[in-house]
Amino acid sequence: MINSVRQTVMSVLNKNNYGYISPSDFNLFAKQAQLDLFEDYFYSYNYQINKENARKSGTGYADITKGLEEVIDTFSSTLPLIQSVQKTNGYFLPSLLTTNNDYYLINKMLINNKVIVFGATTGTVGGQNKIIDITADFNADGVEVGDIVGVEIGGIAYNLVIIAINTTGTELTVAPNVVNTFPLNYTIYKKKNIKEAEKVTHSKITMLNNSILTSPNLTYPAYTQEGLIGDMFPDEEVNHPGQVVCQYIRFPFVPKWTFVTLANGEPAFDASQPDYQDFELPNDDEVNLINKILQYAGMSIREVAAVQFAQAKEQGNNQEEK
Amino acid sequence: MSYITQYQYYENGGLPPENANWGSYQYVSLEDIVNNFMLMYSGNHNLVNNEERFKVLFHAKRAIQELNYDAFKEIKILELSVCDTLRYVLPSDYVNWVRISLYRDGLLMPLTENIQTNWSGAYLQDNDCRILFDIDGNALSPQYSDLDYDRIKGTKQSIYLNQHSEYYGKSGYCVDGAWYFEYGIGARYGLNTETANANPTFKINPKGGVINFSSGMSGELCVLEYVSDGMENGDDSLVTVNKLFEEFIYAYIEFAILSTKLNTQEYIVARKRKRKAALLRNAKIRISNIHPGRLLQNLRGRDKWLK
Repeated sequence: MINSVRQTVMSVLNKNNYGYISPSDFNLFAKQAQLDLFEDYFYSYNYQINKENARKSGTGYADITKGLEEVIDTFSSTLPLIQSVQKTNGYFLPSLLTTNNDYYLINKMLINNKVIVFGATTGTVGGQNKIIDITADFNADGVEVGDIVGVEIGGIAYNLVIIAINTTGTELTVAPNVVNTFPLNYTIYKKKNIKEAEKVTHSKITMLNNSILTSPNLTYPAYTQEGLIGDMFPDEEVNHPGQVVCQYIRFPFVPKWTFVTLANGEPAFDASQPDYQDFELPNDDEVNLINKILQYAGMSIREVAAVQFAQAKEQGNNQEEK
Repeated sequence: MSYITQYQYYENGGLPPENANWGSYQYVSLEDIVNNFMLMYSGNHNLVNNEERFKVLFHAKRAIQELNYDAFKEIKILELSVCDTLRYVLPSDYVNWVRISLYRDGLLMPLTENIQTNWSGAYLQDNDCRILFDIDGNALSPQYSDLDYDRIKGTKQSIYLNQHSEYYGKSGYCVDGAWYFEYGIGARYGLNTETANANPTFKINPKGGVINFSSGMSGELCVLEYVSDGMENGDDSLVTVNKLFEEFIYAYIEFAILSTKLNTQEYIVARKRKRKAALLRNAKIRISNIHPGRLLQNLRGRDKWLK
């Protein structure tokens, strides 16, 4: 879609061959435009909910909320979080460093609330899909196929699924194949024992912890946010690797129109470049992306007519959608 | 909570304790209640919206506590022997008592509460009745007050009740099961009916966390029937409520939240209040198990001959 957007923008902008924006400028504008539209989805979603509550929204093909949800959900990710070194109950929230993408909104934090056993591996013999601990007896501990093994390898947290246990109970076969080191701290969680942790503000958490009826526990865990770390409660019980799983809405990847330079200096689109990144918004946003980029580009070359044209088109679109 | 197989129900899947799931189908767990409420009664299209889960949990627990106090017919019973201190420490989950009985010779004998106090705190005093203090400024207390001492040692007078004795109805001293009487002069008037019972009496010291008995209870077995608040010693995963009250709890939570939420129209609050009250009445009637067969059995008592 990105090439089509660029060509349309260039085409509208072109005036006596001086309406030109460079690929780097285009990429900057494209990022801004995508972020604008991405954020608008959340406001539109809220607007549609209010319309539904006012009984001014339909069902079936008229269910606008459903479409908006679908777009937002394309940015949904669910990943286990890695533990902070400073605090055992602290888990790093999604970031480029920890989960390879930034979060826009944390939708829910989940806790594996039933720890069966934890320990450290004693070897890696047999491939990267083995959890080996010769001091353990996983069968006696009640570990079953399908249970979850939480580990952190190379700064990434994994929740591995047990697919087999050997007869002596010292070796688990897990998926996916990522276990490439030892000793490795592991914690095994009972499958399907997941509870949602509730976000609590700092102004409430102290009182909540002191509350006899509602203090956080493994059935009703809670968390606060401090910087890029989520502090989990009850802190003495939520402190194992892979115990916290986050479902969040990530930011869209930064779009990049990549090119090869031809002999005459004119850049030609090349989607095979390793840093190529298309827009992540759906195709029906192409018009909105063009209008947004056109406004930035028009401003860039001080062409007021282009800005006004794009604004008018955008307003028209918005009116139609409401 | 998911449904369980009959093997899991009757034998807990072969794991101890075998009786872990017996009768469990009567109950819905607190976890299910909160989960169901968040799912069904809270959200973008509901009256309850943008409320923290801990508030829902709080109101759910408060509803369960209130139900435990009177609506549920779930009495806990604990038997303990009373030693020579004549004290019965209240159970850790005690909220209020229903009946306190003496268990002797295979019979439960309900005891009477002595509304006159039989226990007291005390401070040490000098000859001028001035209270004595320690170096920290705290008043010094004896191990027992005189009131306690008299009760425990049996040196406190009480009414002797034995119709076959000439001392029937007289004040005396019960010491180690033997009765002693003062030499009586003149007539006696007025029986203290509050303690006029052959069995020992008791008085509860709620803050002290004990039941204090009169001296006749020494070495006897006491059966305490009491109500708790259903909080299962803080383990939320064990808190359950009878299914007959499930809908009431949802209504209670909804009302509790809406009635304290800013800008909720009064007619909505009133509607929710009525719903809550109606559901509670229904649930109480249901759990009372009033049905023709039961009434019939009671009514048969009409034919009983009174001597």
